[in-house]
Amino acid sequence: MLFPLVLVACSSQTHIRVDDREVTTRVRAPASEESAGVQVYSLQSPAVRQLTAQAEDAERTGDLDLATGYLERALRIQPQDPQLLQHMAELKLQIEDYQQALNFAFRSYDTGPRVGEICSRNWRTISVAREHLRDVSGANEAQARATQCMNTRPKGF
Amino acid sequence: MAKKAKTSVSKTGVKKARTARRNKGRKKAAQKKPGLPHRLLRISMLLLGLGIGLGAPWVIWLDVQVRSEFDGRKWDLPSRVYARPLSLYEGKAISRRSLLAELKAAGYRQSSGAGEPGSFSVDGYRFDIHRRAFRFEDGAKPAARIKLRLSNDSVVYLRGDSTVAEQGLVRLDPAEIASIYPLHDEDRTLVVLQDVPELLVTGLQAVEDRQFKNHHGVVLRSIGRAMLANVRAGRTVQGGSTLTQQLVKNYFLTSERTLVRKVNEAIMAVLLEWHYDKTQILEAYINEIFLGQQGKYSIHGFGRASEFYFDRPLKDLDVQQIALLVGMVRGASLYNPRRNPERSLQRRNQVLDIFGSTGLLSDSEVEIAKSRPLGVTDKPRSGGSRYPAFVDMVRRQLKRDYRSSDLRSAGLRIFTTLAPSEQDYAQQAVSGGLDDLQRRGLPAELQGALVLVDVASGEVRALVGDRVAGRNYFNRALDARRQIGSVIKPLIYLLALEHVDDYNLITPVRDEPVSLRQADGSVWSPVNYDHKSRGEIPLLEALVHSYNQATVKVGFKVGVVNLIRKIRQLGVNAEVPAVPATLLGAVELTPIEVTQMYQSLAAGGYSVPLRSVTAVQTPQGELLNRYPLRLMPLEQREAVAVLNFAMTQVVEQGTARNLHDLLGNDTLIAGKTGTTNERRDSWFVGYTRDRVAVAWVGRDDNKPAGVTGSNAAMRVWAALFRQLPIFAIDLRMPDGVNFVWVDMQQNALTDPSCPAAVQLPFIDASEPESTTACLDKLDRKNRKSLWRKWFESDD
Repeated sequence: MLFPLVLVACSSQTHIRVDDREVTTRVRAPASEESAGVQVYSLQSPAVRQLTAQAEDAERTGDLDLATGYLERALRIQPQDPQLLQHMAELKLQIEDYQQALNFAFRSYDTGPRVGEICSRNWRTISVAREHLRDVSGANEAQARATQCMNTRPKGF
Repeated sequence: MAKKAKTSVSKTGVKKARTARRNKGRKKAAQKKPGLPHRLLRISMLLLGLGIGLGAPWVIWLDVQVRSEFDGRKWDLPSRVYARPLSLYEGKAISRRSLLAELKAAGYRQSSGAGEPGSFSVDGYRFDIHRRAFRFEDGAKPAARIKLRLSNDSVVYLRGDSTVAEQGLVRLDPAEIASIYPLHDEDRTLVVLQDVPELLVTGLQAVEDRQFKNHHGVVLRSIGRAMLANVRAGRTVQGGSTLTQQLVKNYFLTSERTLVRKVNEAIMAVLLEWHYDKTQILEAYINEIFLGQQGKYSIHGFGRASEFYFDRPLKDLDVQQIALLVGMVRGASLYNPRRNPERSLQRRNQVLDIFGSTGLLSDSEVEIAKSRPLGVTDKPRSGGSRYPAFVDMVRRQLKRDYRSSDLRSAGLRIFTTLAPSEQDYAQQAVSGGLDDLQRRGLPAELQGALVLVDVASGEVRALVGDRVAGRNYFNRALDARRQIGSVIKPLIYLLALEHVDDYNLITPVRDEPVSLRQADGSVWSPVNYDHKSRGEIPLLEALVHSYNQATVKVGFKVGVVNLIRKIRQLGVNAEVPAVPATLLGAVELTPIEVTQMYQSLAAGGYSVPLRSVTAVQTPQGELLNRYPLRLMPLEQREAVAVLNFAMTQVVEQGTARNLHDLLGNDTLIAGKTGTTNERRDSWFVGYTRDRVAVAWVGRDDNKPAGVTGSNAAMRVWAALFRQLPIFAIDLRMPDGVNFVWVDMQQNALTDPSCPAAVQLPFIDASEPESTTACLDKLDRKNRKSLWRKWFESDD
């Protein structure tokens, strides 16, 4: 029947906690370092801020499923929030769901400022995910885009 | 009747004494005459041998039959199906009416002070809600008191007294929308024995089977008495069946009343009693017995019958209502309270007398109960759930996505995406909307379907499959496969816009007569709605006014095969014929499939499979499975963004321009109407920033219905959205798409200061190359600064 896009393999995601330093060392830390001061943050409602904080706590204790649940609730409130979408992408990276990491990072970029720290995190995530998906040239291209986040004017408004 | 009952009770005592005497006598006789019994023994051994040889396989066969029936229908704890929990926080858009509807659906009682969990009080726009403790998908939360205030249809103040973690964001315990057995296809309302009123349990035995606690499936004496009575009367006047026999009979329902069948039933009853205990049998009986008929659906079990006749749960029935149902066991159609109210009343009072004479009720209780009316609702409530169409979808998704071994476990907790208030609005929009269309002269046979989905998550918030609330003989939202007409057109223009070199929103397209010889030799010459051709027009105009001839011309360029591929990419796997007529929507899809396609577009090309279930938990709270949010991005999302803009123009100035009036709201939304040949089907697809909904109206027999997209389905759609918060479509374009000032008729770049200048989105490298004469007059420098000015003003 319908719903061809079966929710494949969404059951019990692998809980192997892979190199979460990859998220830190290759996405968050460099993006934060580069951007120093250049960031436009979207306005988040207190409810979303609270859920984000809970997701961060869960992430710190390694319960990535719980963290995902909090972010999904937050996304029900602000579905186009670039920070939430990027945070989700980074969680997907940690559970090694690279395709979804890629998709969420793109969505974040589309809805986001396309400049500054979040833009850099978007492209760095895309780069890391592509690398794991064995798309080397795509990964390099994304890496180059990440560095442009700090000097390109926002487009498309 | 009362007298008779008393005698039979007193007989029980007598019977025991007699049996004891008889046994004593037999023993004595056996001691005195050893010869005769010996011979008798030999004969009986012979008979026994014969009996075992022939009878044993027969009994074994019956045993297999009856056990598989019983085990197959053994009703464990049903799985509970929950709506989505309502999240409340400051800024949440919700009207007072919707909040009240949500509270009601979740079973909250209004009481001053909201002292108990599960109650609330309301003073104007101030609510005091006492939430119940509840185990959510992600963990248990304690009961909590919440104070909140609404203003302009949104929460402006919220404070909770609960744990700090929940400050500012509180979930209410969700409405329980159904209890189901995921692997069974019927909607039953099953009850466990502990939840059955005592009077029903005892009363059933008093009226139908007083020996129930003691017999082993059959009571030979009753059978003998019944046979005697029947022989005397020359026809069947007495049953004499135990509850166990009645249960067996119910398993193999047949009107046949032969002796063989009777014997089989008796043997199976004994076998049932051998394998199962009395409480299991009684529980099965209460959930199984036939108590009425609604169309082709049978009403089985007291739980379901209670809803069907009284629209109340079994545990809330009054004495006289219990008596009425117990009386109906003897003849559900004979004593049907809706069809034969007098006979039903008589029977009910007879049963009440038995309740009195057997001491279950006092005389005064019997008199009070007898003075009450039947209390049956006028219209039967159908389906175990208030939302049978949605629950139907839940069942299908469970069966599709879960192992049946998982679904077999008792008492699962199923978390779904339904928003009860939105579902109520959707049903009202269809029911009320079609009544209204009937008053406007459209046929009475009109049917409808409506699907409402959250854009970003693909979560189904409401699903209506029938004009009549609560009815689900045919779930049109999931199963009505109908031609979609012009609803297909946006996909053709999407394909065109993907060809950046050839198309943009102002590319001239030819709206002129077109003829095509088809494979079967016939000639296909589509015409426009008003039988006029417009000549050369901008692409945007062709879509906005839904011109058939222009669409077919573009369709030939992009190719039917690519159109079919696009439908697949948008998440729909249906048979689509590769013929020219497909370009004008001679494609049969269901409302939910159309919703899936448009969810993908409304979400800017981030397709998400539509879902009605978010998680399934075991009774112990262990997650069996979660359905996480997954994005399936389409290629060329730039074209999707441009198309979404064009779809807003359908509402702003095209075939759906009456929508703003119908809504009483000017917010920017996107939509598309659809009509099929001879006005058989009416479709409307529309979306706001956060909701996409598809409405369909037509006749089940597919006869011309006099409907068009805007006269029928759009009205239904609007009736729903009048009750919902409407957020404007986000026109922010993705990377690679920019708004540019153009002159549509001249197909050229222009300047905002020039006449006929409009601002439209263009994918990079798709902008027109020429400029208008007006723009040429401005000097180059000045023009540059104007461009810069425009960019800066919008940055």
